[in-house]
Amino acid sequence: MPKLPFGSVLTSFPTITRPPGLFKSIKNTFEQTPQTVRQNATLTATITPPHKLPPASAYVHLPFCRKRCHYCDFPIIALGSSSAVDDDPRIVNYIQTLCREIKATPVESSANPPLETVFFGGGTPSLVPPKLVSLVLETLGSKFGLSSEAEISMEMDPGTFDRDQLREFLELGVNRVSLGVQAFQDDLLKACGRAHGVKEVYEAIDNLKACGVDNWSMDLISSLPHQTPEMWEESLRLTIQSEPTHVSVYDLQVEQGTKFGILYTPGEFPLPSEDLSAEFYRMASRMLGNAGYDHYEISSYCKSGYLCKHNYTYWKCEPFYGFGLGAASYVNGIRMSRPRKLKDFMHYVQSLENGVFNGEDGRFETSDLAMDAIMLALRTSRGLNLKTFGKAFGFTLVHSLCKVYQPYMESGHVVFLDDKGRSIEADEFSRLVSDDYKESDALAFLRLSDPDGFLLSNELISHAFSVIGS
Amino acid sequence: MGSVNRAARFKYSQISNLLFSGRSRGTISAEACFDSTSRRLISPCYHLGWSQNASFCSNSARHHGKDSSSIDLNQYPSDKIRNFSIIAHVDHGKSTLADRLLELTGTIKKGHGQPQYLDKLQVERERGITVKAQTATMFHTHNFLGSDTNFLLNLIDTPGHVDFSYEVSRSLAACQGALLVVDAAQGVQAQTVANFYLAFESNLTVIPVINKIDQPTADPDRVKEQLKSMFDLDPNDALLTSAKTGLGLEKVLPAVIERIPPPPGKCTSPLRMLLLDSYYDEYKGVICHVAVVDGSITKGDKISSAATGRSYEILDVGIMHPELTPTGILLTGQVGYIVTGMRSTKEARIGDTLHHSRSHVEPLPGFKAAKHMVFSGLYPADGSDFEALNHAIERLTCNDASVSVTKESSQALGMGFRCGFLGLLHMDVFHQRLEQEHEAHVISTVPTVPYIFEYSDGSKVIVQNPASLPSDPKHRLTACMEPTVIATIIMPSEYVGAVITLCSDRRGEQLEYSFIDSQRAFMKYRLPLREIVVDFYNELKSITSGYASFDYEEAEYQASDLVKLDILLNGQPVDAMATIVHRSKAPRVGRELVDKLKKFIDRQMFEITIQAAIGSKIIARETLSALRKNVLAKCYGGDVTRKRKLLEKQKEGKKRMKRVGSVDIPQEAFHELLKVG
Repeated sequence: MPKLPFGSVLTSFPTITRPPGLFKSIKNTFEQTPQTVRQNATLTATITPPHKLPPASAYVHLPFCRKRCHYCDFPIIALGSSSAVDDDPRIVNYIQTLCREIKATPVESSANPPLETVFFGGGTPSLVPPKLVSLVLETLGSKFGLSSEAEISMEMDPGTFDRDQLREFLELGVNRVSLGVQAFQDDLLKACGRAHGVKEVYEAIDNLKACGVDNWSMDLISSLPHQTPEMWEESLRLTIQSEPTHVSVYDLQVEQGTKFGILYTPGEFPLPSEDLSAEFYRMASRMLGNAGYDHYEISSYCKSGYLCKHNYTYWKCEPFYGFGLGAASYVNGIRMSRPRKLKDFMHYVQSLENGVFNGEDGRFETSDLAMDAIMLALRTSRGLNLKTFGKAFGFTLVHSLCKVYQPYMESGHVVFLDDKGRSIEADEFSRLVSDDYKESDALAFLRLSDPDGFLLSNELISHAFSVIGS
Repeated sequence: MGSVNRAARFKYSQISNLLFSGRSRGTISAEACFDSTSRRLISPCYHLGWSQNASFCSNSARHHGKDSSSIDLNQYPSDKIRNFSIIAHVDHGKSTLADRLLELTGTIKKGHGQPQYLDKLQVERERGITVKAQTATMFHTHNFLGSDTNFLLNLIDTPGHVDFSYEVSRSLAACQGALLVVDAAQGVQAQTVANFYLAFESNLTVIPVINKIDQPTADPDRVKEQLKSMFDLDPNDALLTSAKTGLGLEKVLPAVIERIPPPPGKCTSPLRMLLLDSYYDEYKGVICHVAVVDGSITKGDKISSAATGRSYEILDVGIMHPELTPTGILLTGQVGYIVTGMRSTKEARIGDTLHHSRSHVEPLPGFKAAKHMVFSGLYPADGSDFEALNHAIERLTCNDASVSVTKESSQALGMGFRCGFLGLLHMDVFHQRLEQEHEAHVISTVPTVPYIFEYSDGSKVIVQNPASLPSDPKHRLTACMEPTVIATIIMPSEYVGAVITLCSDRRGEQLEYSFIDSQRAFMKYRLPLREIVVDFYNELKSITSGYASFDYEEAEYQASDLVKLDILLNGQPVDAMATIVHRSKAPRVGRELVDKLKKFIDRQMFEITIQAAIGSKIIARETLSALRKNVLAKCYGGDVTRKRKLLEKQKEGKKRMKRVGSVDIPQEAFHELLKVG
């Protein structure tokens, strides 16, 4: 396997003090091959690397849930089932802290564009009273501006909202709903520790339709304990019948420290075997594909024009703000996760207000950028744009990637596309990646095949990582 | 080691004939006295002991304290010196007894110093074994023949395991007596037998100590019976102790002084000094433990080695009291240390005779070079760490010169080393010390023994690495020979059937089968060394619920029908997994290896065939289907860092694997193969 001394020649640099244009000069330091005239020419073009863009997206974490689901390891706050949520001081206090965080967040440039996407994730955001959500949106709007066209998504759970509440959310500007259905079988929902049943699922769908929500996602989980192919087929069929514009299909990850983590081992009963679990993935890809959904990302499907703009900023390596407990942000090339414990989060907001918090360590490696770019792009059906990647990280690296993926291209796990979007045949590919490789128009995109490549994406992406080194 | 053991075996058969035909103790003593290989005769008056009629008072000579300047070795001529060791089966209380004697004589303070004082290595403490010889000098006042006399007592702590039987024989050669410690509940065990005969071979006065008498299950009378019937030791001579509670300990040192003869050397003869062991000290260099047999030595003397011919100057000399205590001299019969500026312990050959450079002496008998019985390839777990492993092995062999090391390389594992060990425990201990003391992470190949292959063209190959044996030799094989051992197994009689089954499964030949008392059976087997190298002892323990004890000694080579067993992944042989096995065992071992590999190799993007083959003949086969799913299809929100960490972990996992062709083999697979018999 060819290996570049990539990591070793890269420098880490402080983002704050980085002069403009350094990105390009660094690129030169790790280009190993003599540059062609053509490559030199591209250097003069202005490239703004994605992470240099000002953020136009914000993730807002609303951590409240009735209770913790058995598979969940997200930072949540369980409220219990009895209390009324309207004036729960835990929610009120949290929202206040959240708004303080938004206000205290430094904005580097006054020329920042208004937010194009806002995503309320959780937790169960629909448990937060609309007036408090309104407060958050107002704070975001006055701090960063909010585009009139902005996609504003909210995760909602069946059984946590009625039509009146939903209308209130819509009036605030929420225009996309991500409905946490997970399964269409009461037994499975119960086994997961969900706070709702199938009846609530149908009520929720009716509510969405009655209130005219046209952009909504059905979120499902496959490979649940005791889940059979028949059940999964039924869930997919009922999903298609409900006509959401978007479907997210998550594959159960058994996380340490969760109830499932204690009870179950992946691949062992009552969890489906690895083979069956792979079959679930194929079924989703096949059935949703046949129903007209575009499999645009490993776990995301949408009807034409309804991809989740917010999530797509992640895959494109574009920056985004993050607010709230445990929320991740990506600003100025720095990825940061907020504290997952409420008390620590309070301290964090305090120090942010006092101006003593200045990012994690203010440094990052260029190799991290390259790994992020590959890892995220290969999750999408569009794949990795080899030209922009080559311009940013060097065409030697592109060549190494091609070499690493050659056997998997031949086995059908990886697809290379030319600039017209046509897939490249194996023998032509061998010619293109021969040792006298030149940057070529012929190689435009690299993507994983659906479903074979997607199913083994971890394996394939880690091959790419091994080329980049550490 | 060989001839010592052969001699021991010769004597053993003589003695066992005597034992089991019920002849008397006197006869055995006579046998011992007539032994032509003996360095000296046992003086009957010492042997009988003087303790029966007199009552003595005995005190530790505390006045010496820790102030080394007050120690004048001139006060201790041979007749005021006793050199002895403690021998025992593992866990019968040897180290605790040593600790108590050191405390009793004020050599270490009670409650100070760590338990198992003389076992200095971490591996020794953890496993409760002694690997390296240590000495400790104690002072003790004893009412001897009517007057208080100061005695100098040297405790020579020896390794107990058969792997180190040569080292043990050299340590015992410096002693005139031994405390044979036997657990009052467990009774005589295989190592007790082996150690007894080593002591017997060296003509030592044996003082039986029945230890742990405070245990509820202690049955000292039964142990006395065993000592009588097995070794013809007088039950009245046995001391009853509990090193743990201190019960009976006051009788131990008087018995040592009264029953064990003083060292027999001549102070007027030229210096002859026995090298017992050595270790490497960061600051002082090589420190040798020595016993002065004849003559004396003074700081500044020029000495030479009989084995290597090299000369050295004595830079420092002293006693272990219990740490290095300079005295400037060592006199006849005394035991201590010397520092000579040796660069490496490789120069310090155990059993070597050191003498004054100016004089010529007859070397002390019994010196032999280390003989390697078990070989294994050692490779850095992370291929890039070769230099680090090289450094660690160099440093460790500095302290353990008995390991042979040659560089070798493997397609699967890269650059590494072929190491030769004295035996299994030695190999294990070496691995453990590499990891504990030098933080090296290694993959070791399945241990193998030195086979001899002879071909029709008259060529003869000693195979230390199975991979080096051609799978398709050019010339016809005319003979293969494999080393064997004679194993001693002692077990409660209800397990006899299971043990016989195990031994015949391991191609053993029964040589003896008898009972040492109404409940315990004693068996001797000739076994191919290969068969006990992997997992024999564990298996023995599990089929006897831990009640069997086992020891072995080296025996001669025997002709055997041996084949090379290759492991192939997708048709490509993995050199580091090749083994040599008996033809009759090949199908089973092949099947086990293939099954193990299937379990420990993760599914990969392509199907993998795993095969075991003799030459071109496939004898076992498994298929590992391709990986079906490895995807993170979970909503992590924007938590890209977490996702990436998961994938980086996966990448790191790949880096730690060994690659053969297109197949990644995890390190665990190599470790697990070690456990296949």
